[in-house]
Amino acid sequence: MMEIFNEVQEIARNTSNVYLEEALKSGRRIIGYFCSYVPEEVIHAAGFVPYRMRAVDSKGTTQADAYFSPLNCTFVRNCFDKALRGDFCFLDGIVILNGCDHNRRIYDNWRYADIKPDFRYMFVAPHVIGDTARKRFRQEMVQFKEALEKEFAVNITDEALNNSIKLFNKKRRLLAQLYEARKAKNVPIKGSEVLSVVLAVTAMPVEDAIRLLEEVLQQIAGRVVSSSTDLRIFVTGGCLEEVEHLELIESSGAIVVADNLCLGARHFDLEVVEGEDPLGALADRYLNHLSCPRIMNDFRRRLAFMYDAMKDYSVDGVIAEKLKFCDLWGGEMFIARNESKGLGFPLLALEREMYGGSSGQTKTRVQAFFEQVRNNRWKPEDMARTAGDNYQGSDTFSVKNRSK
Amino acid sequence: MKLKPYEILDVSFARFDLLLFALKFPRLTNFTIRLLRPLYVEKETWYNQTLRYGLLALNAGLSTVDELKAFKHGIQALREECYEGTMAGRRGESLAWVEWILTAEIFEAFDVPSWPAEAINIFGNIRGVEYPPYLVEVAENAGIPIENCSAQKLLVGCMLTEQMAPPSMIVSASHPCDTGVSVYQSVEYLTNVPMFVFDCPYWKDDDSYQYYVENMWDFIAFLEKNLEKKIDWDKLREALDRVNKFNYYLQEMTEMHRAIPCPGSTSSLILSWVFREGAMRSPHAVEAAKELYQTVKKRFDNGQGVVKKEKIRVIWWDPTMAFFLYLFKWMEDEFGAVVVTDFVGRVSQVPIDTSTPESMVEGMAKTQMHLAMGRQCHGPIEFVTGELAKCVEEYQPDCIIFSRHNGCKHGWSALRIAQDYVKKINMPALFLSIDIMDKRHTSEQEIKRQIGEFFRRNGLA
Repeated sequence: MMEIFNEVQEIARNTSNVYLEEALKSGRRIIGYFCSYVPEEVIHAAGFVPYRMRAVDSKGTTQADAYFSPLNCTFVRNCFDKALRGDFCFLDGIVILNGCDHNRRIYDNWRYADIKPDFRYMFVAPHVIGDTARKRFRQEMVQFKEALEKEFAVNITDEALNNSIKLFNKKRRLLAQLYEARKAKNVPIKGSEVLSVVLAVTAMPVEDAIRLLEEVLQQIAGRVVSSSTDLRIFVTGGCLEEVEHLELIESSGAIVVADNLCLGARHFDLEVVEGEDPLGALADRYLNHLSCPRIMNDFRRRLAFMYDAMKDYSVDGVIAEKLKFCDLWGGEMFIARNESKGLGFPLLALEREMYGGSSGQTKTRVQAFFEQVRNNRWKPEDMARTAGDNYQGSDTFSVKNRSK
Repeated sequence: MKLKPYEILDVSFARFDLLLFALKFPRLTNFTIRLLRPLYVEKETWYNQTLRYGLLALNAGLSTVDELKAFKHGIQALREECYEGTMAGRRGESLAWVEWILTAEIFEAFDVPSWPAEAINIFGNIRGVEYPPYLVEVAENAGIPIENCSAQKLLVGCMLTEQMAPPSMIVSASHPCDTGVSVYQSVEYLTNVPMFVFDCPYWKDDDSYQYYVENMWDFIAFLEKNLEKKIDWDKLREALDRVNKFNYYLQEMTEMHRAIPCPGSTSSLILSWVFREGAMRSPHAVEAAKELYQTVKKRFDNGQGVVKKEKIRVIWWDPTMAFFLYLFKWMEDEFGAVVVTDFVGRVSQVPIDTSTPESMVEGMAKTQMHLAMGRQCHGPIEFVTGELAKCVEEYQPDCIIFSRHNGCKHGWSALRIAQDYVKKINMPALFLSIDIMDKRHTSEQEIKRQIGEFFRRNGLA
């Protein structure tokens, strides 16, 4: 049983892995992409392995700091540092998204530093959900497909797209099954293990990912990793790829049962409708799947998702995560805090630097939060403070005007 | 420090009234504020802090009487527009908050007042330069992230201390930065009113413009639905005719600044930008632009500069400090250094074709995408560096000053690109680290010191 999880952990902690190496040996090529809004299916249908960009195994940010500044987020700086050091030399293309201010400048700095590969594509996703945005997004899908066809002299047929959609939908269904299993009283897989699984299946050919997920599902049948005293935690946030961070949380007397993370629920939420217009269906899925706060008109749905998950997974408390200097998740945290205060659920707001250390501080805060939750003594005023020592909450509006 | 509800606006309106009265006698006013310079120009003290910001914003007596007359129109426009919006909101009538990166003219076609949400930053300083940092703290203490742009932290601070009339709807945008994307969701959450979001495309190609035009049509549908009335195209045409005139005058000024010596002060263009932000719907805003244009044109025709002896030509890149609007005039006065063009005051627009509803909507979309900071910040870095390179070519600067704002993460992400660019063209450059709204980050004195040393170190002064 341990073997599969050891393998998953090994893949999750490294930039490359045996599956990628085998794919390369067999003549397949790899395209890296940032963000949950890039359609893996289009990359796959063009004959490539889509590879989710990551900062794991980073050597630091010293080289990237010559391009970015200390006011930029550590996910971007770590990733770019890895790119400068040649860690992503196995890629044949890179797809960057206008996800946030930090991420979109990777596109500029990548070109400016003239890092390989030569194919660097800015995939543009709308910041709103709606009919006009959907129409534009479909157009973007077409342009992306055409760019791949032109650059790599390939032909991406509707049939190939439909085949890819089927495969990625299957992967989504398997991940959904994995999450479903976590609703049980006796939880069969830890949150940190799930994060490793998602890291692994976003760094290998989808065909291998499906086999790996099937094996993981087999292995967790009848397995129990939680204890009756563990708090059941929902984690929400953006870039969170540090498995050890979730391990730290779970080693403090909790089990992460659900999330709204890039490398979590947002990766598999909502299947693509299989049918006659694959690019239109991809536009629908990628625009309407569980959003992150870069989508400006969807925070109520994100809150509803959290409340549903809290009910379905019997959640005891919420941990809201953000990286330092992330405006987007900072705003989401503000809303979550106000909701926590208004509706009365325990929430811990954690801010961190990716691979920035400070695990001791984090552990102390997590332990204190769990102790308060267990003792039913938590108060929003006692939550971890990221906005100044005298955090007071927004009394003026939160009670009378909150969204629920 | 504590603020009563609406205190900032009430005090600001009272000071505007005092100023408008004084400006009925522009010669006397100019003479007086020039005479009093030793009492307030150097630094803020306990006895000048009430009026210093306003007197410096009027260029501390260094403007001509004609320029003061123009400012009077601008102030009148701000006073009327903001007062009307505030009172409507206080009476519980429809009021639209419009994000600073957008235009509010369309509300003329619905006869609904609008409020330029971030204009409160200027009013905050009029109340006293201690107040914006206080309001930033209010927002941060309520949980707004400290790394957010202070312009929008101030907005939330003002909301939480009830300095602005509540909106019945909000209009926001996905550009120019993440703080806007993030804070406006929080603002919608707190106010619980309908919000329309303009989704700014990344590129500037035909498809992108078309997408923004479709956004504009969606916006009209949103307004018609929420205001329960139809758009009045004739009223819109009148409003857009004024926009065209306003843009024409400012664009001409922007172009005339290329002359050596430079005939105008970029501080006038920045102030005009404030008028545009806060009061574009008023005919007085057009009058202000027209009169400022005439003063620059007169100097241009006579081959005169805005300073008697122009010694240094400066390009100011990135936003400038709201808490110290006198900076450019100080540079002129102290060093003969003229800011010939900048990031925010530059106007680069095409006239809106007002012949049909379709052409008006297309024109509004294009105009909105080309507003300062909007046109540079929503896409690849070439939108910024390309415009800078064009400015270097056209304005013949001696140096560039970059005022990197704490909240502009995308600006900081391109630091190396900017640094290499100035090295490549062998141009002396100063990179300031500032916060445009919060003087505690880098004070007026520190900014002056760094600029002075920069000029001296490079043999410019």
